[in-house]
Amino acid sequence: MTGRVFITVLCVVLLLPECRNSSKKSENLVLADADSMVSVITAGSDADEEILRNFSSPLETANLFQVMGVPFSQAYLATSLNANVLSGSFNQALSLGILGADLGYLNIYGKTSTSLELVSSIKKLAEGLRVGQFFDFETIKRLSLNNSNLDSLLYLSIDSYNKIDKYLREDNRGYLSSLMIAGAWIEAQYFATQVIKQYPNTLLRDRIGEQKFFLDGLIKSVEPYCKMNDQFSELCSDLAGIAEEYRDIRISYTEGGAPVKTVKDGGLEITQTETSRVEMTDEQLAKIIEITGIVRNKLIAND
Amino acid sequence: MTSMKKILLGLLILFPAFTIAAGQTVPDPMMSKCLSSTGQASKYLKDYRIQLGQGTSQNDFRYRAKMSLWKNTKYRFTLCTADNSKGKLILTIWDETNKIVLSSVDNDTGTVYSYIDFICNKSGIYQVGFDFTEGQSGSGVSIVSMIQ
Repeated sequence: MTGRVFITVLCVVLLLPECRNSSKKSENLVLADADSMVSVITAGSDADEEILRNFSSPLETANLFQVMGVPFSQAYLATSLNANVLSGSFNQALSLGILGADLGYLNIYGKTSTSLELVSSIKKLAEGLRVGQFFDFETIKRLSLNNSNLDSLLYLSIDSYNKIDKYLREDNRGYLSSLMIAGAWIEAQYFATQVIKQYPNTLLRDRIGEQKFFLDGLIKSVEPYCKMNDQFSELCSDLAGIAEEYRDIRISYTEGGAPVKTVKDGGLEITQTETSRVEMTDEQLAKIIEITGIVRNKLIAND
Repeated sequence: MTSMKKILLGLLILFPAFTIAAGQTVPDPMMSKCLSSTGQASKYLKDYRIQLGQGTSQNDFRYRAKMSLWKNTKYRFTLCTADNSKGKLILTIWDETNKIVLSSVDNDTGTVYSYIDFICNKSGIYQVGFDFTEGQSGSGVSIVSMIQ
């Protein structure tokens, strides 16, 4: 009898972690037979949504700052946002997006130990929205303190946001998900516009101009909720204001020859020869900087 | 009987520690392994998890998705195939005009690369396509990271 209990306990101990991983895997993997996978080809609005729901975008902006040699600055962060006093799902979801962008900025700069307070705020906001279960706070905290495995930290942070986004949409709370995306975008846009004031740079200038692509999609994502309440209405109006400043910015393309290929260390490096070019005047940029600052600072005002 | 109880008690005490160790930092083992192969200088951006059955066509990429790529960025696409897969995970990327911008397979030599570094000079929306070599079955992970 005792032997059987022993074997049962041993099986549970040995198999449980694998079972847990298996169930997680099946959530994310795409299972398909031969021809059914063709249906996975995404098109139209679903595909646009897929691009929009990309929580790694603020990381790419922060990475560009590093490429430019811009030093880290605490001043860009939304430090005035106080998760303890934020009430209502609108403010919580928007702030969750804003703080997600802040977390990405801190992580890219390796300021992981200083991000712990931010992680606690994110935890509080996520719990307020009843999505705290998707954020692996303990592991993120541990990795942040160790400051040793940036890739895993980035993965866990982005994965948590992706899971929250997916859950909210499945839970018929897609409006909160759109708010999160709007918050993250506005914050990343704020970083970019603040940095370019101090460190004028063509690469960053182009990146700001290219946000025209993303902004159009963001407005479409928020549009269905614009009449939901006064807060949404104001956000829609703010985004429309930013879009207005982008209206006359042009993005053009130059054809190139065959891509340049180099084989190295078992991998392949490909350099694209086609290029894109942003046509944006100093005046247009100045207006984008100004309106972005106004909108973002209003959102973090805690009132 | 008493010693058996002690063993059981010991196992129960060890249980949480064991699960934490087995869970690792990233709970998905394939993802964890792939993350460790992206290189020291890489910064994780996105991942695709692919599992496909045996296919009928060798040239049609059965998993496709869209993603935005920004110019002046060097992206690394790391391709990790699970051990029990029949084929190797492969990748092709098309631009908005449906022109191929990169492929992880060199059709001339038959070489299948395990990672591709892509220096993007044209911002836009691209289509990424995954499959396994010769339309075979398999599972794998592709991680997109920045390396500059």
